[in-house]
Amino acid sequence: MMLEIRNLHKAFGSLEVLKGIDVNLEKGKVLAIIGPSGSGKTTLLRCINLLEMPDQGTMKLSDRELDFQPGRKISSREVTELRKHTGMVFQSYNLFPHKNVMDNIMEGPVVVQKKDKAQAFKTAQALLEKVGLGDRGSYYPHQLSGGQQQRVGIARAMAMEPDVLLFDEPTSALDPELVGEVLRVIKQLALEGRTMVIVTHEMKFAADVADHVILMDGGHIIEQGPPDQVINHPQSARAQQFMNRISGEDI
Amino acid sequence: MNDRQIQIVLDSFWPLFEAALKYTLPLAISSFAIGLLLAVLTALAQISGVRILKFIARVYVWIIRGTPLLVQLFIIFYGLPTIGIILPAFVAALIGFSLSVGAYGSEIVRSAIQSVPKGQWEAAYSIGMTRGQALRRVILPQAARVSVPPLANSFIGLVKDTSLASSITYIELFYKSQQVVARTYEALILYAEAAVIYLIFTSVLFVLQSYLEKRLGRSLSS
Ligand SMILES: Nc1ncnc2c1ncn2[C@@H]1O[C@H](COP(=O)(O)OP(=O)(O)OP(=O)(O)O)[C@@H](O)[C@H]1O
Ligand SMILES: [Mg+2]
Repeated sequence: MMLEIRNLHKAFGSLEVLKGIDVNLEKGKVLAIIGPSGSGKTTLLRCINLLEMPDQGTMKLSDRELDFQPGRKISSREVTELRKHTGMVFQSYNLFPHKNVMDNIMEGPVVVQKKDKAQAFKTAQALLEKVGLGDRGSYYPHQLSGGQQQRVGIARAMAMEPDVLLFDEPTSALDPELVGEVLRVIKQLALEGRTMVIVTHEMKFAADVADHVILMDGGHIIEQGPPDQVINHPQSARAQQFMNRISGEDI
Repeated sequence: MNDRQIQIVLDSFWPLFEAALKYTLPLAISSFAIGLLLAVLTALAQISGVRILKFIARVYVWIIRGTPLLVQLFIIFYGLPTIGIILPAFVAALIGFSLSVGAYGSEIVRSAIQSVPKGQWEAAYSIGMTRGQALRRVILPQAARVSVPPLANSFIGLVKDTSLASSITYIELFYKSQQVVARTYEALILYAEAAVIYLIFTSVLFVLQSYLEKRLGRSLSS
């Protein structure tokens, strides 16, 4: 298992957002997380790289294991150590606006991983080519379209050679005509066998790339399994309701 | 103006201008540099999670902002000697102005840091940066750009405020003009002349400021 989460709980004050989540993800597999707004998808994703600190539960990423308990603090060294092995792609890209595309991508390898600059440059250039932006290294984020910025965001996350790539609705801030170019890049990564967790509202895309789908509602996983089963043949009434509403919106 | 007055103006122009160059500007520049460092440290203390640092920073800003600069200068220059701390006028002025820039500047720097979107912290953390790395590499460079226009304003304010140092015997532009007035009794003419010299310096700074803002504006938006 690349990622193993057991009984994960997270509350914001008195608002319980995750109420005991279990996730298993094998190396090289893609997990899609779907569900209605406010169901806790983003929170779960952010718990995986500790942008949110879970209250309770355990998490194992590759060979690093963390045990969360109320009142027990995870050291900041453990936190950064875990983050070095995860990559995150944000809904609003969050590129560093004061750095050009190349420096955005090299920042992690050079500053955090202390890699050799020339080597990091080569890797970054290869990543840029992979996301179709080989000639944009010297551009600044504001000179790029949303779709291009998001592809840089993906390259930046990939540059850390993470064990798992996390995506939070990577296309929902994009104009519809730019969605395709980003989804194609993600699909390509899936074909290459990257381990990924993708929060998305794009059901067709989830059905296409995911090996496993989790449907969340109210802080619980209410349905999970292969995409065809969860998306096309959900079992519970609540899940059927959600899928019906979504497919209604699609048309 | 009669011939005598014109002669006084001409004779005093260079000494006054020189006083501005040699005493007003160096005081302004050096206290701004020290003050800026203080401002960043104070802002960092205020956003740090360390309670005692936060407290010290808050008390410092509270006292400096809540009391007149002139009174602070008097305490440092005339007050401290009574407990055995005797400072030259320049040093006393330097301390007073630096503390002032530090306190007011910290508010500018702090709000600039807070104006950087939360997503920038998160992006920095997501690639494994520590808090310090995120600050140095991602947050402060962006905050610096935001704080340039208001800091430029404080510098221009500071250049004018250095005239207060005349009251603690620091012989800068304004003190110099007071000396000439004492000799010639031409208060209106000489103080107006001092004002003109301040205006020359601040005008140059205004031009620099708008140039700087245009450059920043271009790199931030376009
Ligand atoms: N930092 C926070 N502080 C307080 N409440 C929060 C915080 N982050 C999220 N929440 C709340 O937690 C709940 C779940 O939020 P979350 O963002 O995980 O939902 P989501 O499934 O990603 O929704 P969406 O599809 O709209 O993105 C929501 O009620 C939200 O308001
Ligand atoms: Mg969300």
